[in-house]
Amino acid sequence: MSTVVGKATIRADGVEKVTGTGRYTADLNLTGQLHAKFRYADHTHATITRIDASKARALRGVHAVITHEDVPDQKYGGMVQDRRLFAKEKVRWEGDVVAAVAAVTPEIAEEAASLIEVDYELLPPVVDFEASMAEGALLIHEDWESDSGDESMGRDRNTLGYSTIVKGDAGAAMAGADVVVRNRYVSDCSQGVPIEPRAVIAQWQGGKVTVWTSTQVPYAARAGVAHTLQVPESNVRIVVPLLGGGFGAKCDFHFEGHIAALARAARRPVKLVFSRREEFVAIGHRREGIVIEVETGASRDGTLVARRARLVLDKGAYCGEGGFFAQMAAMHACGPYKIENVSVESYLNYSNTQPSSSIRAPTAPQVCWALEQHMDELARALDLDPVDLRRKTLIEDGAEGPTRQVFENLAMKETLEQAVELIGYGQELPEDEAIGVACGWWPCFGAASGAYVNLNPDGTATIVTGAQENGTGAVMALPILAAEQLGLQPEDFSLLYQDTDAAPSDMGSCGSQTTFNSGRAVVEASIDLREQLLDAASSELEVDRGDLELVDGAVRVKGAPDKAVTIADLAGSGTTFHGKGSGDVPEAPACETEGCVGLLGNESFLSPQLITHAAHVKVDRGTGVVRVLRVAAAHDCGTIVNPIGANGQVTGGVVMGVGQALSESTQIDENGRQRNPFLLDYKLVTAADAPQIDIAWVETMTPNAGPKGSKGVGEPPCVATAGAIANAITKVIGRPVRRLPMTPERVWAATFGEEE
Amino acid sequence: MARQYFEPGTVDEALSVLAEHPGADLVAGGTDLVVGARQGKRPLGDTLVAIHRIGDLSDLSETDGGGLRIGALVSHAELESSPLIRERWSALSDGSILVGSPATRNAGTLGGNVANASPAMDTGSPLLVFDASVELTSTDGKRSVPLSEFFQGPGKTTRGPSELVTAVDVPPRPVGSVGSAYVRLEYRLAMEIAVVGAAALLALDGGGRVVEGRVALTSVAPVCLRVPEAERLLAGADATEETFAAAAAAAGLAAKPIDDVRASAEYRRAMVSVIARRALERAHERAREAA
Amino acid sequence: MTYPVTLSVNGIAYDVAIEPHRSLLSVVRTEVGLTGSKEGCDDSECGACMMLLDGQPVNSCSYLAVQASGREITTVEGLANGDDLAPLQRLFLEEGGVQCGFCTPGMLISATALLSQNSSPSEDEVRLALGGNLCRCTGYGNIVKAVMRAADELPA
Repeated sequence: MSTVVGKATIRADGVEKVTGTGRYTADLNLTGQLHAKFRYADHTHATITRIDASKARALRGVHAVITHEDVPDQKYGGMVQDRRLFAKEKVRWEGDVVAAVAAVTPEIAEEAASLIEVDYELLPPVVDFEASMAEGALLIHEDWESDSGDESMGRDRNTLGYSTIVKGDAGAAMAGADVVVRNRYVSDCSQGVPIEPRAVIAQWQGGKVTVWTSTQVPYAARAGVAHTLQVPESNVRIVVPLLGGGFGAKCDFHFEGHIAALARAARRPVKLVFSRREEFVAIGHRREGIVIEVETGASRDGTLVARRARLVLDKGAYCGEGGFFAQMAAMHACGPYKIENVSVESYLNYSNTQPSSSIRAPTAPQVCWALEQHMDELARALDLDPVDLRRKTLIEDGAEGPTRQVFENLAMKETLEQAVELIGYGQELPEDEAIGVACGWWPCFGAASGAYVNLNPDGTATIVTGAQENGTGAVMALPILAAEQLGLQPEDFSLLYQDTDAAPSDMGSCGSQTTFNSGRAVVEASIDLREQLLDAASSELEVDRGDLELVDGAVRVKGAPDKAVTIADLAGSGTTFHGKGSGDVPEAPACETEGCVGLLGNESFLSPQLITHAAHVKVDRGTGVVRVLRVAAAHDCGTIVNPIGANGQVTGGVVMGVGQALSESTQIDENGRQRNPFLLDYKLVTAADAPQIDIAWVETMTPNAGPKGSKGVGEPPCVATAGAIANAITKVIGRPVRRLPMTPERVWAATFGEEE
Repeated sequence: MARQYFEPGTVDEALSVLAEHPGADLVAGGTDLVVGARQGKRPLGDTLVAIHRIGDLSDLSETDGGGLRIGALVSHAELESSPLIRERWSALSDGSILVGSPATRNAGTLGGNVANASPAMDTGSPLLVFDASVELTSTDGKRSVPLSEFFQGPGKTTRGPSELVTAVDVPPRPVGSVGSAYVRLEYRLAMEIAVVGAAALLALDGGGRVVEGRVALTSVAPVCLRVPEAERLLAGADATEETFAAAAAAAGLAAKPIDDVRASAEYRRAMVSVIARRALERAHERAREAA
Repeated sequence: MTYPVTLSVNGIAYDVAIEPHRSLLSVVRTEVGLTGSKEGCDDSECGACMMLLDGQPVNSCSYLAVQASGREITTVEGLANGDDLAPLQRLFLEEGGVQCGFCTPGMLISATALLSQNSSPSEDEVRLALGGNLCRCTGYGNIVKAVMRAADELPA
């Protein structure tokens, strides 16, 4: 029985954060440092005919101005390489970087950037991402066929990705269904909005560059710098000081390449700090808008006999790391339900708007919001209680998924029962209040990771990990896993992390994977160290190592605790103890994909995390203003390693979900520009608006889970909130709101307008 | 660009600086001026006159006749916490509480808020239903301008380039049982900007009839404005739900809202009636409590 | 042109020469060298920059540094007593009110200001007082709990 797993521990980076002594990237300054500003595209879709930076270069205080001519002609991108650091022939959205300036002050850099002359031939902006796939539509990437990329993407002109999920014969089953419900939903795009705007500092020393940056993925940032500047990865060191949140927005390689190139040209360290407006407009990383058409056929008793869906996702201008979205969205259009026949097709289309890339559980909250409203609409058509319909149709042990993956040891239905019990489903409420319920899921992602655990001569230890702490506390919890293996306390460990020269490559803080993968590596490295300590103690105590155990800072003989040697004594004996480990990456569950296209690895869900949220809301029918009073959140995320951290993920995720549900929308004008890139008009939930949140964990031992039976925790909490709120709103106003976010105006229009 | 900075300690000093530097940017709490500059709305001017240390602009008191004088440097926080304002000038209290966060209300002043002339200002329609005027002072003397004439458009007022807003004066309340209220359409419960706001004042006679009713609107026209069409329906009418509904509907027709990032004109117009009615009902409750 | 100003930050006087348009946040982070207060937005909506000015909270990003001369400025670095954390700091950690930590300095300042004026706030009062401090990680619940507990610990 563990003494440390599942106990509340105070985070190791806590004191520096509450005293203001911790350093984030923007807090750092280097001797001789210059300041960077970008010249962004002046149009959202245009051919560049001339760039003249001579006036900018002549401005006093300017040390470097660079454009595409000053860096290697390298395209980059996740699954498709369709983007350059600096726009060359064309600009494709308002945040495309045309040039970068390094100057002695940010003000001079800004002025210089404005002095760069750029001539364009304008092209019509392609903003409607449904229309962009039409025959003859203007191409955003004319040379799309020559862009290198994953061959299974299903690319076709403005469609970057096309995925289908096919099981059985949905058409025939739909035709024979007792009840068929068909709906269309539209979700706006939205943003991750970490409170820290990003910052990057680059410094070259000889042929080697160090980049301090606010990234969630230091190793991807390193690979990006190395690729775009054509230097070996061994010459690029990425260091992440404290990271002020990410939520996906700081995933992917972003601006490290621009600033490293600028620093090399200026022969000085260069610092970039984004304004909030840039943090909205210039990052290639928003949550995607989606059009969701979904149709379900059911038999009278509620059995789901067929599901058809057509999804169109707004990719924006470039692929980034969001190439897998079409398939991920398709899986969420099936949801954690037993459905006999499925036919889902999903398009990921380019447009002349900000690129969409992973924001906390990409595609899931929007598709879940649509699907869960649709399930409630189906329940009404069947005259069933929506919770009863879900009781009948949710997956359980032995059930088969949309690609015939067979699920084992999961607690989907238990999360439903816990959530409805916590919220008091069925209670009498005033007529302007109601409770809605929604269910969802999210996979774990297996990835390679490696760690070292070095024993220090005084018996403390240092964990060296490639894991990235974005605020969740996931890295802060790694000592818990090591402590348990070594008979030490979490406080006995220091962490060396967020430095690509220190630890083996790691996926970073994305995909809720830190505990799952980096944790596995730390456990393996700790076991390696433990073995070394057992060997040493066995010699020292002259006892067979099978009779030894590591407890309370000592290696001792089982049953004879007085016969022991402390880990500190072993550590100080002159021998070096250092464990290393990686562990085997769990394999994706078996499934059947005959007839499916666009297979990118999400066709089966590894160790799925399961979610039910129930929301109690109050609707002001006169104005359409919705207040969320309470949310009950029940999750199966396997074993909970660090309760403070896990609960914090749920409360934060639910509040983000409330924002997505009610207020968070990036509004796009007819040219593809953002209309509300400020926090006054991009409305986050405030402390005054955040609901009471009650949490239930259903802990299961899912096959292929992470350390101690853990699954991911970071992303699922924002998946089902908007759907639960939507279903509650519909109960009050009697009509569904089929646009996300469900702003007061949209709720009001749904209440009093013509039904869509 | 080199900037000049002045920090007068008295009104007279401030007026001489303004006489020498007409059009200088006046700054007290910075919550409109500096925020606007940071957002890129309008850069700070070359001459900054900080008036926060002028002691005699911080007076908040009832006048002999039962009116109110609010020094230009009185903060929203002071208005919010004043029992006098809460009890007798409730709509202004309602509006002050809704401004920004505690930090905004602590730094932001009424004088600055009025001079900034945002159509979305939450104290604008409350002051309008109290028939407030702005005291403008320059080296040439003082003049008083009714608020309804002071506001000319978004960010535009009749303040001259060498004039300082020194106070907001409010005449005595109408005779009768008086209640007032300001209600805002609130997407969120904090950090909101008015999308639609309405202030109402009702003076009732002993029989519960409306002797005088006043309605003003925030954020549905280029300036905060009074709605005479609604007020005519209130004067002399019985204080009933029907009366309030009719007046609120008239307010909806009088509004000249626009489509913007915060709402469509259609929604705003519809909300004017809803919010104005709620303001009237709350003012009515307060008037009855006062009776 | 620059103006000589003395800023008193956390009880220490700093003589600085600054241009009048500079924000208090910028001067404290750069000339004074205390980077605990953060810049999170362009429109004074996020509260990460919050400081106390004579005990009252202000958004230092939109307050001119020159105007703060002669007044007592408190930043997050001034809340602890040497190595001893202030109760709010300790309770933020114990309750899990800190995740990425970027909003934390402003949150602590807002909470400090609230408790100096209202020693037994209701939960709604705490939530409204923190309304101008945006947090994207925690969902606020644990921060509110920490502030309520700090109020309970205040000497009667």
